[in-house]
Amino acid sequence: MNMMPDRFKRQTLALFFIVSIVPALIVGAVWYVYSQNSSANLLLVNFKSFVLPVIMVGVLPAVILSFIFAELLARPVRRIHHATLELLRGNYHTRFEVQGAGEFDDIGRALEVLATKLEQTLSESASETALIAAERGKLRTVLNSMTDGVFALDRAGRILLFNKAAGALTGRSIEEVAGQLAEKVMPFRAHGELVMTRWLARQGNEDEHIGQWHDLELYRADGQSLYVDVEAVVIKDDPNGIATLVTFHDLSSTHQLDQMKIDFVALAAHELRTPLTEIKGYLDILSTEAAGLSKSDRIFLNRAVTSAERLGGLMRNLLNVSRIEHGELNFRLEPINYVEFLNDFVHDTKPRSKQMRRRIELKLPLKLPTLEADASALHEVLTNLVDNAFSHTAAGIGVITITADRRGGEIETTVSDNGIGIPAQALPRLFTKFFRVNPMKSAASGTGLGLYICKAIVEAHGGTIWAESTEGEGSSFSFRLPARPVAPSAAPSDNETITTISRGTHGWIKKHSVH
Amino acid sequence: MAGSKSILFIEDDKPIAEMYARVLQHAGYEVEFAYDGAEGLTRAQAKHYDLILLDIMMPEKTGIEVLRVLRGEDGQGHPETKIVILTNLAQNKTSQEALRAQADGYIIKADIVPSQLAGIVGKLI
Repeated sequence: MNMMPDRFKRQTLALFFIVSIVPALIVGAVWYVYSQNSSANLLLVNFKSFVLPVIMVGVLPAVILSFIFAELLARPVRRIHHATLELLRGNYHTRFEVQGAGEFDDIGRALEVLATKLEQTLSESASETALIAAERGKLRTVLNSMTDGVFALDRAGRILLFNKAAGALTGRSIEEVAGQLAEKVMPFRAHGELVMTRWLARQGNEDEHIGQWHDLELYRADGQSLYVDVEAVVIKDDPNGIATLVTFHDLSSTHQLDQMKIDFVALAAHELRTPLTEIKGYLDILSTEAAGLSKSDRIFLNRAVTSAERLGGLMRNLLNVSRIEHGELNFRLEPINYVEFLNDFVHDTKPRSKQMRRRIELKLPLKLPTLEADASALHEVLTNLVDNAFSHTAAGIGVITITADRRGGEIETTVSDNGIGIPAQALPRLFTKFFRVNPMKSAASGTGLGLYICKAIVEAHGGTIWAESTEGEGSSFSFRLPARPVAPSAAPSDNETITTISRGTHGWIKKHSVH
Repeated sequence: MAGSKSILFIEDDKPIAEMYARVLQHAGYEVEFAYDGAEGLTRAQAKHYDLILLDIMMPEKTGIEVLRVLRGEDGQGHPETKIVILTNLAQNKTSQEALRAQADGYIIKADIVPSQLAGIVGKLI
């Protein structure tokens, strides 16, 4: 450790020795000549007796002096060296005391000033570094302790940041996805279509900074699919190059809960049908046969009938959802004379609308193309839409209008009402499972399944369904189904098939014996 | 008018059978009962009925089995008798089976009321 000052001391010693040996030799020689009082000749003759005394007199003091000077010079250097080592160890308060050594003293003081400045600078930058590290650590902790997946994209749609949850949910690592295009490694799909890519592509010119999607499908690294809610935010002018921040929420637990609900309700609904049959049956017998009932008795009886009807409808919907979820919604497609079908439907609904004091109207063109659909399922769609209209209109003034017309190769059916309407923000989620516009208002609320079922049925038929509404004025629900291409030669047998079976939500009856 | 028409009600749930029967009898039909599949089949083979209302989930023989025996292999048996399934089984599969076995109708009990049943029966016979 003290190698440097030792070497310095040796070098100083050697230097002084060389420097002092020449004058010492001269001094020794002069002294000898004078002490012998002889001539120069003697110098050569008595070489041996000359050398030894000269060395004794001249060299010895030189050697001793060299030692003293070397030590005098090495001491402050050793001190500076020692203090510098202390400085290196981080002891910025070490003293460079080099008393009385002239230049060394100045060097020492300069080094002390330097040490103080160094300490200041280091402590400032250390606190800055600590601050940055703390901030980064905080951010990382927040991102990684989130249960939702988070990732950031650059302008080109490549992944810059990917949190722990995103990794766990997708089964991918940050190393794997960093720099990859999001549409390749994180392809969020709705009905097979890449939704984010399309949205991101629109970002250049539109002011739509936040994108939200419900129930999107995402394939994990292992090929299994995951259902998520996604929110994306566009970030402008970020210094780190982040252009989009995406958060996604795993719906697995929600789906699992839904599954439990469905299994339970399927079982419960089956078990509840028998007592419901009797409740409805005896109420029906009472209301048709009982004589001498007061006006209020009749009102109460009607309320019981309405409630039993509603209960029946709810149970049917619960069962239907369980069928949709288990992929058991099998359709039996058949040609349907839609004008006749709708007339029958409205005719069957009239007693109920009368009882509920709502008016139901049907507006049809004279002719409509034949529909190819499952009649029971179609009945289910109309029943649900009309039930909703009944629930959201007021007794006495409620009017429900059913219209149907041709739209290109499709038939569009609309069920509209003059009821309370639907808030604009509820419209996008209207057809999702268990969604209710106002869950607290029990009078008008069902299971939140009716429209979900309608959508499943209409889409399974290759059609589309949508809703429009103005709050306070009313709502209209429309769906389009493909019309059957007319094959002229097959027309007579078609007609025969059409009139053979009458289907409804309550089952079917062959019509061939009806005249 | 419908007074001469006869109905056999094959149903193991007595209260339900009686509930429907009451309305049908009020409408002037002659209603007889059988409380399980085997008994129902025996009665149906012994005598002519204009209509048989048939439950599915019953002891001894299911309604679908009774229907198959009555209609026979060719589906032409008892052509003068209408056979309507009246059940709370709402599966499409069962409904299709009934259609193939030449039932004249398939009705979900919980989705109709007795007066509606009377209306349907009135149209059938």
